[in-house]
Amino acid sequence: MAASVKELNIILAGVGGQGVVLMSEILGNAAVRDGFKVRGSEVLGMAQRGGSVFSNIRLGTEVEAPLTSDGKCDILVALEPSEALRNIQYLNPTSTVIFNTRKVIPATVSMGKSVYPEIGQIEERLQAVAGRVIALDAQDLAEKAGSRQSANVVMLGALFGCGKVPLKKDTVQECILERVPAKAAEVNLKAFELGRQVCDGR
Amino acid sequence: MQSAGKITLASDAPGHSLFLLGNEAIARGAIEAGVQVFAAYPGTPSSEISETLINLSRELNIYAEWSVNEKVAFELAYGACISGVRSMTAMKMVGLNVAHDSFTSAAYMGTAAGMLLVNADDPGIWSSQNEQDNRLIAEQAYVPILEPSSVQEAKDMAAHAFELSEQFGQIFMLRSVTRISHARGDVKLGIINRDRKGGEFKKEPRFSCLPVQARKNHLVMNERFSKIKEFVEKLPYNLMKPVQGARLGIIAAGISYSYATEALRWLGLEERVPILKIGTPHPLPEKMVRQLISSVPEVLVIEELEPFVENHVKIIAQEAGIQVKIRGKDLVPITNELSTRLVAEAIGRASGAALPINYAAIDKTVADTASILPARPPTLCAGCPHRASFYAINVATRKVKKELGEKVLTGDIGCYTLGYNPPLNSFNLMCCMGGGFGLANGVARGQSGPVIGHLGDSTFFHSGITPMIDAVFNNTRVTFVILDNSATAMTGFQPHPGTPGNNLAAIKPEDLARACNVKFVEVVNPFDVPATVAVLEKALRFNGPSLIVMRGLCEILAQRDRRARGEKIKSIHIDREACNDCKLCLNSLGCPALVLEGDRVVIDSSQCSGCGVCSFVCPSGAIVGEGG
Repeated sequence: MAASVKELNIILAGVGGQGVVLMSEILGNAAVRDGFKVRGSEVLGMAQRGGSVFSNIRLGTEVEAPLTSDGKCDILVALEPSEALRNIQYLNPTSTVIFNTRKVIPATVSMGKSVYPEIGQIEERLQAVAGRVIALDAQDLAEKAGSRQSANVVMLGALFGCGKVPLKKDTVQECILERVPAKAAEVNLKAFELGRQVCDGR
Repeated sequence: MQSAGKITLASDAPGHSLFLLGNEAIARGAIEAGVQVFAAYPGTPSSEISETLINLSRELNIYAEWSVNEKVAFELAYGACISGVRSMTAMKMVGLNVAHDSFTSAAYMGTAAGMLLVNADDPGIWSSQNEQDNRLIAEQAYVPILEPSSVQEAKDMAAHAFELSEQFGQIFMLRSVTRISHARGDVKLGIINRDRKGGEFKKEPRFSCLPVQARKNHLVMNERFSKIKEFVEKLPYNLMKPVQGARLGIIAAGISYSYATEALRWLGLEERVPILKIGTPHPLPEKMVRQLISSVPEVLVIEELEPFVENHVKIIAQEAGIQVKIRGKDLVPITNELSTRLVAEAIGRASGAALPINYAAIDKTVADTASILPARPPTLCAGCPHRASFYAINVATRKVKKELGEKVLTGDIGCYTLGYNPPLNSFNLMCCMGGGFGLANGVARGQSGPVIGHLGDSTFFHSGITPMIDAVFNNTRVTFVILDNSATAMTGFQPHPGTPGNNLAAIKPEDLARACNVKFVEVVNPFDVPATVAVLEKALRFNGPSLIVMRGLCEILAQRDRRARGEKIKSIHIDREACNDCKLCLNSLGCPALVLEGDRVVIDSSQCSGCGVCSFVCPSGAIVGEGG
């Protein structure tokens, strides 16, 4: 499997505190275990204080640079709707976008310094550029799984369910379990499964 | 089947691959080399190197410390090195400005065991105050530079650097950048050297930089550098891929090589353009450079920030009389970090090759989208004590404005830079560590209004003490505020002399201030806004230097404490009847827990820490706590 993939670019986006970096660590670990050449990078530092967070994981025999280039994203996973839109330059007509519909309203909006767009408007803009756009309420699914903290794992499940990720399900799940407390194992596996089902066949 | 999970950065598992952060890979390289002494001060993007080594220090029998600042860290590592043990320090690029004094003279003296300085530049200014290129600092010190193109190479170079340093008797610099330090990749591990030898300080004249000795050292340093210049031709980090009869050649340094190889592939030029990968920008492998530039009519040098390699290539061409057009910063931006796109565009312009992607269309989409995107700058957390401090400073300076004049606020480096944006507008001037106090001293001599300089507790120990003493020595009328959240919060909660731990007593900034003869010293709880305002007013009227420690625990740490104790947050709400929708709370504090629901302010209980600062702001007394 690993030898046949030339380049697959996955971008993970969200807001500081949503667990974007943890998601990219889980994905990267799984990819290395499945034998892929992996490159990636993230924006840390000041962004962790409620700002936008970006991370990307690239796998395949032809990836060299740590950053996905404009127009080269295969799958964009956003934990927050406006953060999907913020990364629109990476999309192309074959890209898949999976975004969580739960908004995190920035203070600039509360103070009237900027405006938050409607979800419909966000979806429309994404659809104009990407091939496939999947919206889901990851918060709701996380609560169904048993913990609102597991929304990022729901999104990992959704990413896996979209069918474009050449990793073994067992490997991904194993890497999730290594990074969550033992008592939360069941909740996280359920969260992963609920997310996967949303995207399966869509 | 999956034994991979058990393998860590401290494991002996040669040949096994781990998914590592660039900074972890650098730390692993040092571990493989058997580093024995390590010291550093945190700074993005370098901090995780130190965190990794400090966390593993006991397991691996390494002495590793968080030092008070970069100069102190450098000197500790250098002292250990000339005592005969392998040592290392790591810092962000502006940290080397702090350590520059010792760095340059240490390079004159040379080493007695391997020493590596890891320097992390921040092209793009992701979390810094400039984007200086420290290859220039290494150059003036005759310190050779290793510059990795990938996370794997960062590990390999860090592991190799100690041996090279010993071979030539000179400190080596590993120049990382944000896209190495904060990049991730699969890294094949090597063998760990677990030998720990006792050092011995051999007394030699070269270790005392008296003028007569420094003149000799200068000559020896030049000779050392000449030997290194010969040797870098053989290092695997410099690599030539020749192509016969090409029209254009590429020279790419460090991370730029990864962008260049991808860009050439996209453009279909892989087999048509020769490329020289540079892993040692200082000194350059001159023979390899000559070989490339004499084989093509035009060469494009690709590197981030300054035209460092480009200028040296121009010198090599001139000295060797080679006729070649040398391009670089006319096509590759001198500011910001590079990307495969920027490099592909530069190669496209130099070669005439068509780009595979319609970037104009992408740029139009981005411009169209920008108009509907809400701004999301990083902000002070809900419950952050700095927000309370800044609000109190704004109230107090407003109250004394008629009497004392317009305030000037000087700021510093840390979480509290996030107070800059409205509505807190927490500083008018900010440039470097310690500058919050040092610049305040100068502003107070330049104009007549009240001057308040602030910095954090860790920053105070780093470089705030000397300007405080200067204000006492020269009786400067200035108010110093130490925003003491008992943490080095921005970089990830590293300990500092003011945070208790290791069973040692913490050093209190107020004790230091009193010992330094500051006559006005007060400690306040910033969450008690009226008391803080009253102390500030007194300080601003004091004729001489005054110092206020505003002490409130970082909310991230406070949250952890509350969780550990099973304590609930004090609930705060807005009394609907009393609230007259003036929105003063929102517009004075900019707290993320104050949100609009329709046109009314509500408190988002999922974010609120219960600090209660907003209740002091409300003129109608509508913000009340439990039962109130």
